[in-house]
Amino acid sequence: MMTEKKFKINFTESNVQDSVAYILVSEFDLRPNILKAEISGDGSGVMILSLVGDEEKLVKAEERLEEAGFDIKELEKRIHRDECLCWNCGACTSICPTGCISMDPKTFLINFDDSKCIACGACLNSCAVHALGLHI
Amino acid sequence: MPKTYEQINEKIRSGKAVVYTAEEVIDLVRSNGAEKAAEEVDVVTTGTFGAMCSSGAFVNFGHSSPPIRMTDIRLNDVPVDGGLAAVDTYIGATALTTNSKGGYGGAHVIEDLIAGKKIHLHAWGPGTDCYVRKDIDTYITLDDINDAYLYNPRNCYQNYSIATNTSDRTIYTYMGKLLPRMKNATYSSAGQLSPLLNDPHLETIGMGTRIFLGGGEGYVAWPGTQFKTNVEEVNGVPVAGARTLALIGDMKQMDAKYVRGLDITGYGISMAVGIGIPIPILNKEIMERCAISDDQIFADMVDYSQPVDRPPMARYSYAQLRTGKVEYNGKHIRTSSMSSYSGARDVANRLKDWIEHGEFMLNKPADVPFPKERKLNKLEERRC
Ligand code: SF4
Ligand code: SF4
Repeated sequence: MMTEKKFKINFTESNVQDSVAYILVSEFDLRPNILKAEISGDGSGVMILSLVGDEEKLVKAEERLEEAGFDIKELEKRIHRDECLCWNCGACTSICPTGCISMDPKTFLINFDDSKCIACGACLNSCAVHALGLHI
Repeated sequence: MPKTYEQINEKIRSGKAVVYTAEEVIDLVRSNGAEKAAEEVDVVTTGTFGAMCSSGAFVNFGHSSPPIRMTDIRLNDVPVDGGLAAVDTYIGATALTTNSKGGYGGAHVIEDLIAGKKIHLHAWGPGTDCYVRKDIDTYITLDDINDAYLYNPRNCYQNYSIATNTSDRTIYTYMGKLLPRMKNATYSSAGQLSPLLNDPHLETIGMGTRIFLGGGEGYVAWPGTQFKTNVEEVNGVPVAGARTLALIGDMKQMDAKYVRGLDITGYGISMAVGIGIPIPILNKEIMERCAISDDQIFADMVDYSQPVDRPPMARYSYAQLRTGKVEYNGKHIRTSSMSSYSGARDVANRLKDWIEHGEFMLNKPADVPFPKERKLNKLEERRC
């Protein structure tokens, strides 16, 4: 069965992006998509990866990367909204490419469906009260 | 039978006033007709809660001993006006912090003051014979300072154009983040709840009208800056920015929930203000106008990637805009609001509650007519 999972990988050398993608494609026939990568001055960093492929192979790929010494974790929650700060203006709703954020047509309060979040970060700077954050 | 302010206030005092919000009254007028509704309803409450850049606060710090005549003043590193008397200032909402981290400004100082937080005051002066001191470094709170009142030169814009971006890059504007090739469009009006869309020709709103301002009681002080009337109307209301109001109100009564500092990426600082204006239902005509609904209020969409001259590209109703998408040349554009509709509704409900409980009386405006006709001048660039 084809599924999509998102992973967070902490790495210590920046060339890791290529080797991880190579392992995933060549050994497990998975479709990787790097959603976000942050690399600091010393070459270490963090990468958010979406993987599409056979469910069993996804599990095996995760094990394989762990064995290869990568710090890999499946991502459950990504976008976070601070409900005390949010004033439900709605500015973020038209920014999200995957439709995670919508305005309830009755209450006019913001609805978040973070299962659709690809952690692209586009919404973050649309919020004027800094209520949105990405947890990586 | 027309009513008077005195009759309505008498009913408010005795707890018998019938109050509807501008949203609730739509159905009532549709089913019972304006004539009957006008007899039943005494007051309609409106509300808006959006970014209003032309806002700020006058403050008097009190004198220190020895005293100082402050000419260069910082509040939490935000420069505020040093051009008034010794310890008076005006905090402009859009003033930006001098701290390199940014993201904080005059509006945040105002919000923090109202929230009861301690604010760092650092000020310098020339030192004179009567004000010997040259600098002061201390902390203040809203309780300590003598006076603090909002005076917002331009609030409550009657309507506002919809913003989109036809260019190939994302642009950051006071209408928010606009994605390339018209992927989105933003708008900013409380529509059917908005004060000046319910009383579009200011029949009841004028200098001295008592209002809900930032959670406390405030007043309409004057026509707002950039007040204009030469805007096309549809269903009796303008389709773009037209009339505005200058508002005043004591910060010591306010609630920080309704006065919020905004850090608009790529633009700067602004302030979101919750404002509610009561409309006395003096006659049937006033009632009819209060029944306007989002499907009858329109705004024009313009291209913010054009630095000047933005001709209208399309016209949409607020009912369409609030669905989250509109169609343009066969293509869907995602729409989002820059002002909080739930916030506007909350304000209108709070004000309704005050009036129903006899806690808020209507104030008949002074006999100072606001302009019936007014156009705006352009800034000319002259050599001398
Ligand atoms: S991070 Fe991207 S996908 Fe997730 S909510 Fe924000 S805009 Fe949507
Ligand atoms: S932009 Fe920020 S304040 Fe506005 S609805 Fe989104 S999260 Fe809430």
